[in-house]
Amino acid sequence: MGLRLLRKILIPFAALVIAASVGTLVIGRTHAAATGSSSAMSLTAQSALTQKAEAAAGYQLFQQHCSFCHGAQANGSTGLAPNLQGLGPGTVQLWLSAGWMPLKTPSAQPEAKYPIFTPQQIVDVAEWVASLHPGGVPIAPSLDLKTGSLSNGFSLFTETCAPCHTITGAGDALADGYHAPPLHGVTSQQIWEAVRSGPQNMPQFGPKNITPSELNDIVKYVTQVIEHPSHPGGIALGGVGPVAEGFVGLFAGVGACMVAAYWVGDRTERDEEDDEEHEHSGDDPTLAPEGANA
Amino acid sequence: MIDGLYKWIDNRLNISGGTRKLVNKIFPDHWSFMLGEIALYSFVILLATGVFLTLYFEPSQQQVVYHGSYLPLVGQKMSEAFQSTINLSFAVRCGLLMRQMHHWAANIFVGSIVVHMCRVFFTGGFRRPRELNWIIGVNLMIFAIFNGFLGYSLPDDLVSGTGIRISFSILESLPGGSYIATWLFGGQFPGTLLIDRFFIIHVLILPAAIAGLLAAHLGLLVKQKHTAFAGNGATEKNVVGAPMWPTFLAKTNGFLFLVAGVTALLAATVQINPIWQYGPYVPYKVSYAVQPDWYMGWLDGALRIMPSWEIVLPGHMIPNVFFPGILLPGITFTVLMFWPIIEARFRHDTLEHHILEEPRNNPWRTALGASVLAFYFVLFGASADDVLANYLSVSLNTVLVAFRYLVVLVPVIVYPVTYKICLELQHQPRASKTKRHNIVLRSADGGYSTVESAARPGDALPSFPPLPLDNLIIVGDGAGDGTNGADGAASNGSDTKRGIFRIPRSYR
Amino acid sequence: MPDSTDHDGHAEPSGHGAAGAHEPPKMVEASLDSPQFQVAAANPERVERGIAVMFVLGVVGFAGFGAAFWQNWSNVWLGVTLAVGFFGLGIGMVAWGKYLMPRGPFSESRHTNEPTDEEREVFLQDLSSRGKIALGRRSYLLKILSVAGGIFGIVAIFPLLRSLGPLPGSLFYNTSWKKGSYLVSPEGRYVHIDDLDKGGVLTVFPENDVGGPLSQTILIRPETSGYVVTAPGRETWGPEGYLAFSKVCTHAGCPVALYQKALDELLCPCHQSIFEVGPGRPATPVFGPAPRPLPQLPLYVDSKGYLRAQNRYDEPVGPGFWERGNL
Repeated sequence: MGLRLLRKILIPFAALVIAASVGTLVIGRTHAAATGSSSAMSLTAQSALTQKAEAAAGYQLFQQHCSFCHGAQANGSTGLAPNLQGLGPGTVQLWLSAGWMPLKTPSAQPEAKYPIFTPQQIVDVAEWVASLHPGGVPIAPSLDLKTGSLSNGFSLFTETCAPCHTITGAGDALADGYHAPPLHGVTSQQIWEAVRSGPQNMPQFGPKNITPSELNDIVKYVTQVIEHPSHPGGIALGGVGPVAEGFVGLFAGVGACMVAAYWVGDRTERDEEDDEEHEHSGDDPTLAPEGANA
Repeated sequence: MIDGLYKWIDNRLNISGGTRKLVNKIFPDHWSFMLGEIALYSFVILLATGVFLTLYFEPSQQQVVYHGSYLPLVGQKMSEAFQSTINLSFAVRCGLLMRQMHHWAANIFVGSIVVHMCRVFFTGGFRRPRELNWIIGVNLMIFAIFNGFLGYSLPDDLVSGTGIRISFSILESLPGGSYIATWLFGGQFPGTLLIDRFFIIHVLILPAAIAGLLAAHLGLLVKQKHTAFAGNGATEKNVVGAPMWPTFLAKTNGFLFLVAGVTALLAATVQINPIWQYGPYVPYKVSYAVQPDWYMGWLDGALRIMPSWEIVLPGHMIPNVFFPGILLPGITFTVLMFWPIIEARFRHDTLEHHILEEPRNNPWRTALGASVLAFYFVLFGASADDVLANYLSVSLNTVLVAFRYLVVLVPVIVYPVTYKICLELQHQPRASKTKRHNIVLRSADGGYSTVESAARPGDALPSFPPLPLDNLIIVGDGAGDGTNGADGAASNGSDTKRGIFRIPRSYR
Repeated sequence: MPDSTDHDGHAEPSGHGAAGAHEPPKMVEASLDSPQFQVAAANPERVERGIAVMFVLGVVGFAGFGAAFWQNWSNVWLGVTLAVGFFGLGIGMVAWGKYLMPRGPFSESRHTNEPTDEEREVFLQDLSSRGKIALGRRSYLLKILSVAGGIFGIVAIFPLLRSLGPLPGSLFYNTSWKKGSYLVSPEGRYVHIDDLDKGGVLTVFPENDVGGPLSQTILIRPETSGYVVTAPGRETWGPEGYLAFSKVCTHAGCPVALYQKALDELLCPCHQSIFEVGPGRPATPVFGPAPRPLPQLPLYVDSKGYLRAQNRYDEPVGPGFWERGNL
């Protein structure tokens, strides 16, 4: 718990510092104009001209931050980093926006960090990688979360997501040191791209497995209910199930009742000397230890 | 009017003659004697809240489509049991509070039974003549655990449904298991009857059994009278404490309200079993990080750390879950139930005991009890191995393997450590006694001496020899009318003349 | 009192004495002014005021609960007001009993629960002599009675147990999968070979039992094309990179729903059994309590490109049971 908390605080902080310094010193010069709005990032709406320009900007960023492992042409290097060609811009955007990339060490399961690029820069890099090879997972379209069905999303979430991420989205440990990350604090775009691309250990769900409208419903459920759960009953205890409730029941519930009993009852075992002082009727109240094996 | 009514009833039931002794009954004052009362009172709360819940709960697996106030469920297919639980949580005023109080009270019920049992075990309260009451108590605990599990299953939500599936598999593993399982569930899992059947067992059969055993438990307690800790004038021949009326009644009724207050406060502030987050049970859906309630947790932990053994015999099979799911609880409860007899055999102890042992004075039993408790606590921990692995950022595999070792290692370490601590405490004659400050004095010639300070607030109250209520003669002030005292009543059998006491005139 | 307790603190088991008569109890004289009859509180007025405050708090709490209920306030208000009410009453009553009632201690005497030998003798003799007269001479009646009782006991088991449910029969051996069953998703879609991406996962059922608890099958696609051979003899069971395994865990029956793509492993969420799947990996349990591999469903692709079952499962799915034997 402590470790995790520490990591939660320290890593984004460190990443922030790095991102800020890198951003101002290096990127700032080459890409001063890039501010980027995170909401509307669908490239389909943008003209081919800007696409080209952004692809060029993405090329710069990629060479500076990614090429050391993934190679100048993003075709990976054996044993170190996978080939990114053909994975699609959605995959690249997911890994960068979640802060998974760059990795601390090549073998570790990526941890969510503060991303090193701005949203617009991420789109640039994603487009440049996508320009090398067609196909793969596209960048998430803008989802219409007003129309989707929350209930259908809940049902599908239970079927496909809850087995790993848990029904409350708290995340849990998987086999061999992997874990399913918590779903609190993820964006709708990341959910969409994760479902479609299947990062690392997560299965990949294509549009024929989970249809676009079904995915819309899932995203709606995760962003509106999992990330903003209502707890009408009080403190939720992390949503990790009855073991936490058991601890509260035992230590707070039974414990408080025992404290009450401690007050109600008589706790002072009176001293033998006191008893003698008041001319107690006589017999020695202390017992010799019983049994031969005592 | 009241006098007349009392007389009318008394003339028919002889309350004045028969109930006198009960009014006089002495209850020990020590706080650890109230642990069982926590269980008693949480059972009262369970009954009260449970009656409320049955008014709204629909024990049916009939599939319906939800159209209530919780939006993420609108349009989903679910059983009537789940729908009615959602409705009583959201649509019935005070329903959520009652549900949460019921669930917390269940946790406290089983928990206080365990704590109460520990007190009786570690102080040797189960020894002759109280073996039968110990056995009744163990059965009460078993019924309480079972009923807790059934109640947890009734809402038919995703988490509890998975638990029922596991219990079905455990039933299957019994000899003749496929018959037992299909008969109890009315078919292959899940069938359409299980909620119906669980319901009637949960609200009628087991509560009746618990109430009956509880009556027997308390009846034996009254007949055999309380045990007592040594000191404060307690001997093998008397019971020291406060009389039922009025002191004990005031305290114990107050205590009922305190337990109810704790339950209400928990139900108000800490959410338990949020089934609206879990959704209805669908056999092919599942959530990760699911466990049963804590009193079944040790069984779940045992299921998890069990190696993958399965014994195949010609034509038959002893499935893996038999060992942790049937054998472990079977051995646990059998040994627990017959422990008084086992220990008496082992120690050649056939005498009656009414004075309790200090746990430190019987290091062998204390160490054994602590070690066994540690074993079950590790098993309980193992039921959260995935959650632990996630929080500690350790591999799940490592955590599970570690628990396989810990479940052996921890009890083996706890035994000698507890034993040693007991021996050490034995040599501290005043251990666990309230201590007074020592005042160090220096005399004129430079020598030092220590004296104990006078009593201060919080120190032990000065104690007085107990007054035997059944053999008491009141003299002096207040005894003038002669009804207070007793006059050798026991010899001529006119018990009615002996009183508890009358409030003295000097009382304010 | 000291004479009745030996040095080990054990009561004499024959507490009533050999003669079987009560010893005359030792009477104790006490004045009503003795300290045991006084209240425990040093300052009773103050305690009294405190108790009054507590009872008023109880009144306020319960009244608040009433108000919260009437106004339909949230759970926390209902519960907290109720708790305040309970605590007020509880603390007040306990304090009353603890501080404002005679402090004691009092005692009552305790007698052994054993009857004397004489009592036991008389009782048993009564029992046996009456029994001899009443029953012994008509012992054959007693025998018939016990036979009748025994038979009733046996036949009563039938309605009590047998009426509860069907015989297991083939319930545990068969699923709804048949030769040629289509694979259907929970949403009712027939599964086509294009439906899953590499690394995809889907729960499937036979078309006549969608949602069936025992028929549930997990369909994964570790490859994009070709046959995935998990074990010798299963060369054609995994067409177009698809594999199908029973989703019912062989340990305790939970849905084995966690497909870990990078590891090619299935994980059971209940007790963390891990099954290896993929080429040369026929869902063998490698970790956790599961004792047997998940049964594999043989698949084929029909002419229209739909996935179908070559055959039913070749062994009972799900956890072991006593009658299963070495199937």
